Amino acid sequence: MTMNTRIPAPRWRHLNLLRWVTLTTVFATLLLLPALHLYQTYVAAHAYDLLSPGEQRFYTFMETLTSPFTSDPARDLDALKGTTWSANIFGLKLSDPLAALSQVAAGQTLYLPFLLSALIPLVLTLILGRFFCGWICPATLLYELNSNFGLWLRRFGIHSGNRRFDRRLKYAVLAAGLLLSAAAGAVLTAGIYPPAILGREAYYAIAQGGLGAGSVFFAATLLFDLLVARRGFCRYLCPGGALYALLGRFRLVRVRRVVENCNDCAKCNAVCEFGLDPLHDRFGQDCTNCTACIAVCPTDAMTFTLRLADVPPQGPGHLGHRYRKARPGGAASRSQEAA
Amino acid sequence: MLRRRFLARLATTSVAAAAAALPYGFSHLMTPPLEAAPRGRLRPPGALADQRAFAAACIGCGLCGEVCPVRCIRFYRRDGGRLANTPYIEPEEKACSLCEKCMPVCPTGALRVTPREDIDMGIAQIDRSACYPWVDRGICGACVSVCPLGASAIDFALWNQYRPVIHSGCVGCGQCVEVCPHPSRPIRVVARARTPAGATGS
Repeated sequence: MTMNTRIPAPRWRHLNLLRWVTLTTVFATLLLLPALHLYQTYVAAHAYDLLSPGEQRFYTFMETLTSPFTSDPARDLDALKGTTWSANIFGLKLSDPLAALSQVAAGQTLYLPFLLSALIPLVLTLILGRFFCGWICPATLLYELNSNFGLWLRRFGIHSGNRRFDRRLKYAVLAAGLLLSAAAGAVLTAGIYPPAILGREAYYAIAQGGLGAGSVFFAATLLFDLLVARRGFCRYLCPGGALYALLGRFRLVRVRRVVENCNDCAKCNAVCEFGLDPLHDRFGQDCTNCTACIAVCPTDAMTFTLRLADVPPQGPGHLGHRYRKARPGGAASRSQEAA
Repeated sequence: MLRRRFLARLATTSVAAAAAALPYGFSHLMTPPLEAAPRGRLRPPGALADQRAFAAACIGCGLCGEVCPVRCIRFYRRDGGRLANTPYIEPEEKACSLCEKCMPVCPTGALRVTPREDIDMGIAQIDRSACYPWVDRGICGACVSVCPLGASAIDFALWNQYRPVIHSGCVGCGQCVEVCPHPSRPIRVVARARTPAGATGS
């Protein structure tokens, strides 16, 4: 009987796999672009004969990699430059909205071409919420692997930190960043924003001859996540996440729990990197639409919906014990929901 | 009661504010401010003339460095305070080739597209008490032959074929500094003296 009431859901669950592919691709691109730059400088200098054997192997490898796409790498590869902080893709300039906001705070001037370069990410964030955090951010890949590492450590009886703080702390971090940027006259959020740090550090390490200071900061955030709070930096401290959470407050695309399919197993709550409560329909501003809960749900009770607000709490899932026990009398179920 | 609540609120707010400022403090500790601006470091071509405006405009994305074919653009990686992650050129190590790729790629307007002759990274200056030809220690002319701008920027003195003289057309790319064979680099790029408007007349 209960099985008949299940609502067939679109197979969104495979999106999580796609998300891992996307994250890996972005991260690999972040490593590839500085390597391409290095190769370009070798080509521009006609330097092959002056390179060390190791550099010559690198040159040959990059030549093999790029030769199907271009015969003039020194010029053509300029079409793809940058990081997620600010990129130049075939003439299209894209910048992080946090970069634009911080720059306005630092200089108290509006430079329109730069603000326009943040427009596409801004609109996407208005529609999709914190999707950058779940789908693109190069730090997310490392943070999620770090989370998984923490879970793996449990096998050996080592429990990683799982403290909870007030989520609103990150808005204070954003506000502090803008105020301090204005006071110092420099874009200070760039120094603590993990995707900006990673993009820079990859470039510094590969093409500038050594890591910068940001790598220390990033390592500290990894430790913070592992020892203090799971995914703690993204949840409680990230200024970019704070901005996108604010922008995505009335996002159109949301994850929704299909109460008819839910059996209250709470796997969604366990898997949620952001410590949200999908089981009780509480997603809120911090949901990144990462689809991990959709992928983990054994009964396909998680799906996407187009709404400007979360569905109000729908009570226990119709396949769960609590609902079935209360079902014979409809009133009993309702009183239980209220309790 | 009201006062206690107010005090509790105040305490929470200040703890939150301190916690919120903590990451920035940590990041600041990692990039200590420079004691003094290192000599001879130039901004990339087309940079905003006002240093404060430049520091406020640059977001440290590194795009200018990533298009630089000669890799002359470096960054304050581990120091610089509020200059952290902003670009500079150290002509003694590697000078700018004036390829003009970095200006259009800069998204923030920290580098503005500027015609080559209007670029102002500084102006070269020759120490005539050290430069080989100027102290009659031989003939050189390396700086003159390497200059991408030619006679409008650097030239030989009329009365002696090998004594270089700087002209106002110099944009400060620093190639002469990079090529100078003298160990003390008697040629270097300094900030252009700003003459008040109208002061040049007569």
